[in-house]
Amino acid sequence: MNEARFMGLLAAYGADLARWPEDDRLHAEVFLEGAPHRIRDLWESERAFDHLLLLERDLPASIALETAIISTTPGRLRARTPLDVMSWLSLPRWATGGALAASLALGMAIGYAGEPQQASSPDYAKILTVSGGGAGSVFLAAMNDTEN
Amino acid sequence: MRDPDEELVLRIGAGDKRAAGELVRRHLPKMVGLARRMLGDATEAEDIAQEVFLRVWRHAAAWKPGQAKFETWMHRVAMNLCLDRLRRGGRHGGEVSPETPDVRASATRALDDRQRRDKVRDALQLLPERQRAALVLCYYQDRTNIEAAEIIGVSVDALESLLSRARRTLKSALSAERADLLSGLETG
Repeated sequence: MNEARFMGLLAAYGADLARWPEDDRLHAEVFLEGAPHRIRDLWESERAFDHLLLLERDLPASIALETAIISTTPGRLRARTPLDVMSWLSLPRWATGGALAASLALGMAIGYAGEPQQASSPDYAKILTVSGGGAGSVFLAAMNDTEN
Repeated sequence: MRDPDEELVLRIGAGDKRAAGELVRRHLPKMVGLARRMLGDATEAEDIAQEVFLRVWRHAAAWKPGQAKFETWMHRVAMNLCLDRLRRGGRHGGEVSPETPDVRASATRALDDRQRRDKVRDALQLLPERQRAALVLCYYQDRTNIEAAEIIGVSVDALESLLSRARRTLKSALSAERADLLSGLETG
């Protein structure tokens, strides 16, 4: 880092070395430490000017604008996240219990219907006859069957 | 280095509204700030910010991680929208002219922080648009010199030249007030 390079970068980026090109920062810091007073004075003057420029800082965006922009998000189905699974816990207890019971019954019915060795069983034939096929119908038939 | 927005953008591409809200909260102030400094008008700046996010929604699903940083892409979109608007409106920016408000007029007046900020804001509007773009990106948007040069579409050397001229122009525009502004800062 020589004086010309230092002065060129100071004129462009100001006194905050964090804004300078990454490769020059350390060299500039070393140069500044050993620099004559006139260069240090110039650097101080640029530092004061930086301070002045940064008075024009960002303001927080308005909530109304933020809301308006978020409302323009395309209304597609949201991807499932682990939190969505957790949201089951916030359902009413009866709804959670009912859903679990229905899932269990459906699983049992499908499992029952899918057992190959039961293909010739009279009960299985009865279910197929009553239900007319389809997972939902098999489920209803199985439920009826267990009630009888 | 991993793009801090990458995960959010992928989730937005998959239709996650919560991720969209998070991205808006993270970047909206910077987008509005860039547009406000480039256009000098708060309402137009909000229009630009809305347009930037509409483009984000449209492009998120096709975003390929590992390319340019998403924030850099957003800055490029915002800057291009601002430059388009300046050109369409015939506001090319220019050197300080007798027609522009003279920011040196009230040199002796005591200035509070808001007035000082307004003076700097007015002075920024006096810069030619490319000088203003360079200064806004490097000083206010915290872009690196390489990112800023890429966004404006110039070499790093050209960017440094734009920055030097911008600072020189601003110093000249604020010269009469500078002492007042700086003494106010020291005593404030």
